[in-house]
Amino acid sequence: MLKPRQMSRLFIAASKDQMEPIIQELYRHNVFHIEDFVDQAREEYAGFRIGMPLSGASEVSNDLLKIRSLSASYMVKPDDEEPDKIRRTSEIRSLIEKDLPGIEKETEGLTLMRSRLENEEKDLEQKIAGLKPFTDIPIDLDLLRGYESIEVFAGFVARDVVPEVPHDRFYSPSKTGNFIVIAVPVEHRVSVEKDLNEAMFQQVPIPEEHGPASGIISSYQLQIISIKEQIEANRQKLEDNRKKYAGFLLACDELLTTDVSKAEAPLRFATTDQAFVAEGWVPVNEVEPLSRAINDVCGGKCYISEIPIDFEHDSVPVEYNNPSFVRPTELIIDIYARPRYSEIDPSLIVAFIFPLFFGLILGDVGYGLILLGVSLLLRRYFKRGDGAQLVNILMIFAISSIIFGLLYSEFLGFKLLWHPLIFSRHMNIGGEGGEGAAIPGLLVMAIWIGIIQITLGRVLGMINHARMDHGSHRVKAVLANLGWLLVMWGILVALWSHFAIPYMPDLMKVPQIAAGLNLATITGVLMIVIGVIFIARENILDIFELPTIISHVLSYARLVAVGLSSVAIAMVVNFIAIGMIIEPQLAHLSIVGIVIIIVGVLIFIVGHIGNAALGLIGGALQSLRLQYVEFFTKFYKGGGQKYNPFGIIRRFTEE
Amino acid sequence: MADGTMTLEMIQASQVGLKAVGAGLAVGMAGIGTGVAEMGIGSAAVGAVAEDKDIFGLALLFTVIPETIVIFGLVVALLLLF
Repeated sequence: MLKPRQMSRLFIAASKDQMEPIIQELYRHNVFHIEDFVDQAREEYAGFRIGMPLSGASEVSNDLLKIRSLSASYMVKPDDEEPDKIRRTSEIRSLIEKDLPGIEKETEGLTLMRSRLENEEKDLEQKIAGLKPFTDIPIDLDLLRGYESIEVFAGFVARDVVPEVPHDRFYSPSKTGNFIVIAVPVEHRVSVEKDLNEAMFQQVPIPEEHGPASGIISSYQLQIISIKEQIEANRQKLEDNRKKYAGFLLACDELLTTDVSKAEAPLRFATTDQAFVAEGWVPVNEVEPLSRAINDVCGGKCYISEIPIDFEHDSVPVEYNNPSFVRPTELIIDIYARPRYSEIDPSLIVAFIFPLFFGLILGDVGYGLILLGVSLLLRRYFKRGDGAQLVNILMIFAISSIIFGLLYSEFLGFKLLWHPLIFSRHMNIGGEGGEGAAIPGLLVMAIWIGIIQITLGRVLGMINHARMDHGSHRVKAVLANLGWLLVMWGILVALWSHFAIPYMPDLMKVPQIAAGLNLATITGVLMIVIGVIFIARENILDIFELPTIISHVLSYARLVAVGLSSVAIAMVVNFIAIGMIIEPQLAHLSIVGIVIIIVGVLIFIVGHIGNAALGLIGGALQSLRLQYVEFFTKFYKGGGQKYNPFGIIRRFTEE
Repeated sequence: MADGTMTLEMIQASQVGLKAVGAGLAVGMAGIGTGVAEMGIGSAAVGAVAEDKDIFGLALLFTVIPETIVIFGLVVALLLLF
């Protein structure tokens, strides 16, 4: 908690013939974060080279490529699937030898057929489109072409054209375009062309078909229907195959991925002709079991040692070490940056404050229930990975919203049976809506939350600097953080000594000392001066940042402002739907009135769903921003390396 | 409007109203200023984050720097109203 998992740096050296069993063992344990060997980067590794892959790596890679392409054609993704059964690796290996070529061939045939059928369908549709204009021409298509002494024009014109030379003409006007076919002796071609061009003639090629256009179209349409049937059958077949092979493909994928990463592991080790060295990170409590297991597999013929961590140069991989309910919050921290190894991991703190802020903003039992329903629904679709964690966050939000809804006494903008337990947010909209919102109280509450969180952030900042910095800079940095705190509280004390602010200490009655200044004012000013000195000692330019003290504290006013705006929208929706539409109709019921009431109910539903969505986005983003900007800037650096152990968690296979 | 018809209550009421107008203008116009300032920073930040996700925190920080302006507007509005 508040600290990542403690890591040890492990050094493994052995002769090359032990490499394969050691890799197997490291992979099985899934705790060893390999520190990749970089050629010639460090003196003590002079004479070492990057290792060569184990034998058989390229064959396995080839097989994996085939499996991945099959998975792509069946659109099988490991993250979306649940294992139907766990397969044994030996069984899969024999199946890959035996069945894979067959499956590959079958799939290739089916996908080829699918693209051939789709092309045919497209061809026919194009032909039909070319024939369409000729359906109104009462003449067979073969009579329109193949003449030496007659020229036939076919196409669309803006208006009818009647040439002054001997001709034959069909004209069919329509909204989509006036279609014209004109046949003239070849010698009059030029003059007719000129007439046609004046009428904005767009030529259409005469289809190479026989018989009347409409007859041909219907025969093509019949063909399309039969092709569509074949496509459907093909799709069905692919679907059946997908069901049949998905589990097998996923198991193969998992097994071969395992094989490939094992076979390529030596590329990350330092090797000589006879020996190899692997360096990496292991959680402290895993060192003992891992060392013992490796010693067992190679019969003691290896050297394993823990190396002291050099915090100056090593980048220690970071793995969160939090109770399970913090897991969704870790995703939020990762979006900003993973913590460094030696700094405080804020996920536990954020896990409490983030939902609290959300509830403060969108505290409404009705919206909470809507969000809870949505999250339960989404839970079915997102079963693992980041998606599932986001759904969990949504659920925590919903619960927080319901709790604060009970405190605010709000249900879709209506008042619940009791008076609000904390400040009221029921505004006066449309001349009704109760007592009005307690805006000064709400604002002061938000400011207090800001003061507390910023103070917490600065204290954590002092701890971080004390832990991570060295020498004189360490003292300066810690004092600078204290300085920021002193200035903030100094401003507050000075304010309290001059103004009576509700829900804040009143220091106006503190005994006066001189020139109308009382003890509190002088204390406040002193705090500010000392604070500024501390800040300037670390970095003089930070003096220009002093206004951010005020802006960061007041920034918490958004907790109230965004919340009030969603209450206002809810109340406006209620007023329009019920007060303006439904109630007047209920007073004098009529048939038209019932229709209007239904419209009112629709407005009510759509309005509240829209407001719930707005409230979710606004509430989540605003409270997230308060963590990222106002809170994290005080102490959090981030930029740690993610702990990524060598190995996988098996889902589809077993030994 | 003839001055003679103005009563004390009317003057007081319009004073309150003008205060509210002033507060609204303070927040609204400061908000516009912040928006204009964040426009360029925000689009650059989105582009930068698309290139490299690790700088999200820094990009967000740059984006919200101009929010100080609207907070000053808010302070003025609160001073006017309370």
